[in-house]
This record gives sequence, structure tokens and C-alpha cells, in this order.
Amino acid sequence: MADQPFLRCEKLVKRFGPFTALGGVDLDVYSGEVHALLGDNGAGKSTLIKTLAGVHAPTEGQIYIEGAPVTFRTPRDASNAGIGTVYQDLAVNPLMSVTRNFFMGRELTNSFGVLNMKQMDEITHDEMLKIGIDISDPSQAVGTMSGGQRQTLAIARAIHFGAKVLILDEPTSALGQKQQMEVLKTMMRVRARGDIAIIFITHNEIHSKLVADRMTFLALGQVIGSGTKAELEGEDIRRLMAGGAEMADLEQELAAI
Amino acid sequence: MSGRSESDRLKQETRLQRLVRRPEIGTFVVMVIIIVALAFFSSGKAYNALGLKNNIAIIAQYGIIATGAALLMISGEFDLSIGSMIGFAGMSMAMMLKWGLPFGLGEATPITAFIFTMAMTLALGWLIGTIVVRSGLSSFIVTLAFLFFLRGATEVAYRYINKSTQISGLPDYKQNSWFAEMMGGEVFGWFYDVWFMLGGNLNRRGEQWVTGFDARFLWWIIIAAAAYFILSRTRIGNWIFATGDNKESARANGVPVNAVKVGLFMFTAFCATMFAACQVFDTNTSDAAKGNLMELYAIAIAVVGGTLMTGGFGSVLGVAFGAVTVGLVANAVFFIPQIDGSWFRVFLGGILLAAVFANERIRKRITGGI
Ligand SMILES: Nc1ncnc2c1ncn2[C@@H]1O[C@H](COP(=O)(O)OP(=O)(O)O)[C@@H](O)[C@H]1O
Ligand SMILES: [Mg+2]
Repeated sequence: MADQPFLRCEKLVKRFGPFTALGGVDLDVYSGEVHALLGDNGAGKSTLIKTLAGVHAPTEGQIYIEGAPVTFRTPRDASNAGIGTVYQDLAVNPLMSVTRNFFMGRELTNSFGVLNMKQMDEITHDEMLKIGIDISDPSQAVGTMSGGQRQTLAIARAIHFGAKVLILDEPTSALGQKQQMEVLKTMMRVRARGDIAIIFITHNEIHSKLVADRMTFLALGQVIGSGTKAELEGEDIRRLMAGGAEMADLEQELAAI
Repeated sequence: MSGRSESDRLKQETRLQRLVRRPEIGTFVVMVIIIVALAFFSSGKAYNALGLKNNIAIIAQYGIIATGAALLMISGEFDLSIGSMIGFAGMSMAMMLKWGLPFGLGEATPITAFIFTMAMTLALGWLIGTIVVRSGLSSFIVTLAFLFFLRGATEVAYRYINKSTQISGLPDYKQNSWFAEMMGGEVFGWFYDVWFMLGGNLNRRGEQWVTGFDARFLWWIIIAAAAYFILSRTRIGNWIFATGDNKESARANGVPVNAVKVGLFMFTAFCATMFAACQVFDTNTSDAAKGNLMELYAIAIAVVGGTLMTGGFGSVLGVAFGAVTVGLVANAVFFIPQIDGSWFRVFLGGILLAAVFANERIRKRITGGI
């Protein structure tokens, strides 16, 4: 593990008009680690990653990559700097083939703009295999793939096109049990490469405990706790998941109704 | 589990199975049935020398505009202004040939009339596309507006400059202009020469009857072949599919979706202008009603050819089969005089409905039933 974080945020603030979506967030993300980002609905997780992905410009604060301050004006800037985002909708096109999705917008062509289909098929097959899916037919439509396989496609694509930080927005939330495990396995395979940092956004305490090296908890736009898995104990995690409330208090509240 | 993986669940298909599952297959079968039925009921007249020429003429007309409509539909948009654009382009060319170029630039030649007109129609295509992508309005309504606007403007221009909504009696430019010959002349003369040499293609006096196909046949082949190549083999083709399938994900991956759409609106305008140029230089006439309803035929043929109404999927080859099918049925009345010509529209409505259901099935199969 590197001792310098690959990506670092300092006191990120994002306001939408009078509304403070992020109120000074610090985040350190290391290569070869899974960093779970947890928090309730509306806590600001999506806003945070959109800021990292160049979709929103931060109102205040600074993002650093390998120690150097960076400013992203567009998602392209962020992607060129090695930030690959896999959104909840995955940005795949169901009617198109696996290969055509993989290279969408970044097709390999000869100098006349003619596609090198064979080469693209091979790369797609190899890159998918590397993270654990053996697609027999890269010309099969993505619509025929399972949710987990689509997730893998989006991840493999981001990595192939140079992602050093992989941001996964709730990659397991829309999947069944078995496919959730597939995605977690995929994440661990990417982690094992050692050169890619993963930001894993989730609601699921168990999933985060299974794969995360480090966790950051957001509530109402602020970090209410963070640390390595070893530093955070079980009860702690549960309390932080609940937005800082004690379980006992919650039980009392429920009983009072 | 025991060594089984997801990939084992996709059945390997034989070549034949793949062929049968191709999206064009339904249209292909219908086309073959129509070809055979027409031969039978017209006692072969539909495919004698002149019958073939006339059939190909209308098939090529449909084919040219349906190719444009199909590519645009694959990108997720419609163009209802195609028919009015044909009328507008025909008016523009004929008017320049009769009354001279605009801005006092003097006499028009076939080629300058064509270039000025193409510049205008491409600009109109660009304008329509830009309005659609900038406003985010449905292309249905924006192009419906241009359907009325262009048809009205065409009629007004005719009456204002020409005092009449038709132009006839233009000289036959094909005699002296290679360009007019290229648009409105004849092609593949060798085909009819060979036919004659083999003892067919004879008129009543025993001379060679037909000397060639209309030039639009070649234009249709060129446009369809280019569209096929671009769609299936080039980066732009991938962008067209991606734009129509899911615009947002295409954009997120760096596909210039707006440029793709605007470009395709310009392409439908190009196809409409080619349609009009072939017509004007073939007949040396033009009138305000030209191209009427053609936008609807173009869309119907695109759908019959397997293009999805919702975008993201379609086949240029299927559209060519669709053009053959619809063209033959449209002409059938000339070869089978005892049938009522309106059966054509009954038939078109029927296969259109059948095609929509078939396409929906194909879409479900590809997307695994979502
Ligand atoms: N573009 C926006 N304009 C105004 N408010 C926004 C915008 N995006 C997010 N918010 C608000 O910011 C808060 C945090 O949202 P979000 O980051 O989506 O939370 P999470 O992903 O953790 O559920 C929410 O209250 C949301 O309504
Ligand atoms: Mg969210």
C-alpha cells in the first residue's frame, strides 16, 4: 500500500443555492484499497462522487491527485485524470453488443474511421475475463446479460480506459444475492491488482465489512466517522450507519409509538 | 456450481439458426412472397422489360428516402418533413432553372441549381436538427411544423415568382448536361442490351424496347450501400446506435449525441433532395404537390424493414427489402388492372402493423424480455 493517498479531498463544500449538500468533507483514498462510503439517503454520497467525477464543481475545498491539486471542469477532465465512475444506471446500452458497449465513444478504428471489430472483440473478451467473466460471444447484446455481468462490463470498461480510482455508486443495491456476491468478487479482483483505488458506495453494512479496507460515514453532508476496518468496531459501525444515533435510542423511539 | 459459469448458459448457434434469427428475415420472406405473387397474378407482365424498369423506379424512390428515415429512427428521432422537403427541393431546382439563380447570379445550369438547392436543404436539415436537440422537444412535433412550413413556403414561392404551382416544359437538360443525365438519365443499359441480345426485350416492331433503368436505381444502391457500411462498420455507426439506444449513457461515454442527430436530420434532407433531383431531371417538370405523404411511406418502410420505433436498432438491408415489398405492391395495380389501387394502402397498413409486432418481439429477444 502506498503511504500517500492517490486521491485526497480537503474540506470539500458543495452548496446548491442556500442548501449545503456537502459541508466540508475530507477523504483519503489509497491505491489497492476498497474505501466504503456509507450513509443514509440524502447524506451527500452522490453529490460527493459527482464532485470527484467532474459533474459538479466544488463550492469550496480542493481535490488532490497524487498530492497535486486538480480542478475538473468536465467529466472528461476527471476521466482523463484517472477517475472512472460507474453510476447506478451503469451507462450501458441494452440493444448493443458487449463489444460495442465496451468501446462506446472510444472505438478503435483505422484512419478512415472503420471499426477494427476483431481487435475490439478480443480486447473486450480479455478484459472481461481478467475480472472474472468469460463471455463466449462478444457480439451478444448487453440486454441478454445479467445485472452483475453488466456491472462487470462497466467496471472492466472503466479500468481498460485508464481508471486509477474506480467509483462504484451502489453497485449491489439492484441485484439479487448471488449477483451481489459476483460484484463483490469482481471488486476484490480489481483490488488485488494493487494499482487501483475503489470507492464503494453502499447501504449495506455486511457488504462493506466484507470488502472494505477503510470506511467513511457521511451524515447530513458531513463526515461523522472514518477509519480502517480494524479501527472501527462492530457497534461503532452500526451506530454510524444509523447516522450517529445509538441503537438503544432507536429502540426506545420505536417502542414509544 | 461445479465449474459451470454464466457463459455456458448462452447456447451456441449454428449458422442456419443465426440466419433465421436475423432481424431482416421476416421482411425478406414477405418480399419473396410478394415478388412471386406479383409474377403469378400479372402473368409475368410485372417483370417484362418495361415492368421491371417501372417497378425499380418506384422501389428506388422509396428506398432512397426510407434509408434516410431509418438511420434517423435508429438514432431515436423522426422526420415528418421529408415529403415537404422533396416538394421544396424540386420547386427550388425547377424554379432556378426557369427563372435563374437567386441574388441575380444569372442563369442556372443543372449543377448550380442542384448545388444551391442542396445547400438550402442541408441548412434546413441542420436547423431542424438543432431545434430538436437544443429544445429537447419531440422531433415529431418539430418536424410536423416543418411539414406545414415547407409545403406552404413551396406553394407561396411558386405563386409569387412563377404565378402557377407547377413548372413544365423545361428543356431536356439531359441532352447537354452530364449532371442532368446522371440524375435523371438511364443506368445499367448493358442489362437491357444483354437481354435484347438474348432475344428478349423486344417491342411490337421487333426493336430493342427498353434501354436502361432510371438513374435513381444507381443512387439508391449508392445511398443504401453507404448507409449500410457506415452503420455497421464505422465509428459513426456505433454512435448512431448508441444515441438511439440510450442517449444519456452514450453521452456519458463521450458520444457526441447532438452532432449525430443533427447530422442525420441533414442526411434525411439530403435523401429528399436526391429524390427531388432525380424526379426533376427525369421529367423536366415540377409541381407543388411533389413528395406529398412521402415522409409517412419512408417511416412505414423503415419499420417494415425492422427499424425500431424507439430507436437503437435497425438494418439497412431490411429497409431495402421493405422498399422492394412496398414498391411492388404500390405498382401492382398497373399490372393487375382488375384490382382496386386502394388495396395498396390496405396492404401497407396490414404489414406495418405486423411489422411493429414482429419488431417488438425482436427487441424483447435481444434485450432478454425487458
Ligand atoms: N443538483 C441539486 N440541486 C439541489 N439539491 C441537490 C442537488 N443534488 C443533490 N441535492 C441535495 O443534496 C442532498 C444530498 O443528496 P445526495 O448526494 O444525492 O445524497 P445520497 O446520494 O447520499 O443519498 C439531498 O438533500 C439532495 O436533495
Ligand atoms: Mg445516491
